[in-house]
Amino acid sequence: MLYRVIEASELPSIIEGFMESYEVVAPVKRGDRFVFDSVSSADEVELDYTTTVSSPKKYLLPPEEVLFNFDVEGNDVEESVIEIKPRVIFGVHACDINAFNRMDLVYRSGKYPDPYYVARREKTIIVGVSCMPTDTCFCNLWNSDEARFGYDLFFTKIGDGSKYIVSIVSVEAGTLLESLCDLKYATDEDRIAFREYTARRAKAFNPDMPDIKEVAMLMDTFHSDPYWEELGDRCLSCTACAAVCPSCFCFDIADFVAPDGTKGTRKRLWDSCTSPSFARVAGGHNFRPRAMHRVRHRMYHKLNGFQSNYDRMLCVGCGRCIKACKANINPVEVLKFFEEKEVQ
Amino acid sequence: MPGTRLSARERELLSTIESHPLGRYKRPLTGAEMIAANPYRPWPARITSIQTLTEYEKLFEIRLIDERIREAFHQRPGQFVEVSIFGVGEVPISITGSPTKQGFIEICVRRAGKFTTKLHSMKCGDIVGIRGPFGRGFPIDDMRGHDVLCVAGGLGIAPLRSLINNIHDERSDFGKVTIVYGSKSPADVMFREQLEMWKARQDFDLHVTVDNPTDDWDGEVGVVTKCFPELEIDPAETFGAICGPPVMYRFVVDAMREKGISYDNIYMSFERHMKCGMGKCGHCQIGHQYACIDGPVFNYWEAMNIQGSM
Repeated sequence: MLYRVIEASELPSIIEGFMESYEVVAPVKRGDRFVFDSVSSADEVELDYTTTVSSPKKYLLPPEEVLFNFDVEGNDVEESVIEIKPRVIFGVHACDINAFNRMDLVYRSGKYPDPYYVARREKTIIVGVSCMPTDTCFCNLWNSDEARFGYDLFFTKIGDGSKYIVSIVSVEAGTLLESLCDLKYATDEDRIAFREYTARRAKAFNPDMPDIKEVAMLMDTFHSDPYWEELGDRCLSCTACAAVCPSCFCFDIADFVAPDGTKGTRKRLWDSCTSPSFARVAGGHNFRPRAMHRVRHRMYHKLNGFQSNYDRMLCVGCGRCIKACKANINPVEVLKFFEEKEVQ
Repeated sequence: MPGTRLSARERELLSTIESHPLGRYKRPLTGAEMIAANPYRPWPARITSIQTLTEYEKLFEIRLIDERIREAFHQRPGQFVEVSIFGVGEVPISITGSPTKQGFIEICVRRAGKFTTKLHSMKCGDIVGIRGPFGRGFPIDDMRGHDVLCVAGGLGIAPLRSLINNIHDERSDFGKVTIVYGSKSPADVMFREQLEMWKARQDFDLHVTVDNPTDDWDGEVGVVTKCFPELEIDPAETFGAICGPPVMYRFVVDAMREKGISYDNIYMSFERHMKCGMGKCGHCQIGHQYACIDGPVFNYWEAMNIQGSM
């Protein structure tokens, strides 16, 4: 991998440079929180943000996406080409890049690559930025605190904050970056500063977070534990957890017809396995009728099932659901439960 | 996609979305390529025959209109298709016809909701959209040379019929074939003509049973497992195939195990709402597996390793 060093003071001109060729989305401040939004000036960008309310997955898998338009009377799909704008997501944390990489496993690889996702992914430049953990971050638990691939550029702030080490992956972003700033070779000093940063970050994680790696096995063993009933009783089925989650990727497909009934649009819309009707089939049978079943299923998919299929957790430890869930149901609570189970 | 120019012909074929490689095609696409270009795009198909089976169920025979798509459509017994009625929606329906009936897709549909009510109101010659076939079906090739015990409950006969019809058309490839089919009442018994045909043959051991008999019912009475004691099964040689309502699986699996059939030779087809059919939308998840790509047919050993399967 190519590593170069830039001055922090060069960042605004880099961002503005990207804006000339791309739509740039970046973390911006809204009230006392941060969100990813389209920016028109480098001044809006807050690279020292904590965690955004929801993840940047909306730029690869939009909450509402047109699959195609159709003609009701002609009974067929209408001819159209959906154009996807080239875009830069500037300032993505490692956890969210790791979440993209997990989405790739489902949407990009395998027997059925998803043309919509693949087109967006290929037209999107991901620029990562280093961070320091907040109280709700637990990305280090499953090594999601470092992004090793799945991005174009990654900026790591080093030393007193006046410099960044940039990891340059893609030729498209690298060429543009080269034209926008003065890329210097890393010195021994920079390397030491980089090590200092990683050591400092490792120590900054919330010490109260559970440290439990064998949770998948424990979850299989305690599938019928009354604990799931307790969580189910608390769950509001609001699906906020899935909406903010960077790695939740489920959707619904529905037809929308124009008022005159002649034309329509088939869309896919974000959906969540914690929604009561998610596992219902024709005739009304629901395979996960109670909130207990749904909460358990979601936690299983995150912490056990995805690992069975892809050898990694579907949770990257961003901690957004900890803030979003009004009923205090989140992977950390589940991990704590199993940590105690272990001791018993 | 900026910078990509599609020819008029490509636009015609690849109607719905650009994706990176499409602009590079320099030759006409095959049916498989057309399907792969956008697997969410349903292809028009004409209803060629409709048969009323019961008060609630109809059998539809459907033919894909585009020859290239039709040729690329290779079904295996136990697979399903996504059927579209534009403006109403799209639902997964298991294929009930045999792969040996090349060129036609048969689906057996119970009128249960908005979509199926609309489908039931359609006529021969009407157009629907078809995507697929999807899913892992029954291991028909492993079954060749062996005995097969099929147990169906209610609408579960639909996916199993694809297997039974396939066996029927290639009968000499298989050993002893036993079929147990249970319904709630005589009025719910489907495919009556075909049952008569199977019954008349020496090489099918057919048991049709109902839970609630009427006065004119002269067949067997009781749940599907009731006739198990009298079944002559060579457990080392027999594959089990099960499809029915969710409550049925546990009992039938236990009965098959009691007969001595191995865990991994008992196959069952699970019903879930596969919305995308391609292992993405999540609606058909059973534990960590997707009914649409890992199933809908699983063997019992696999099912035991999936939390929440039965």
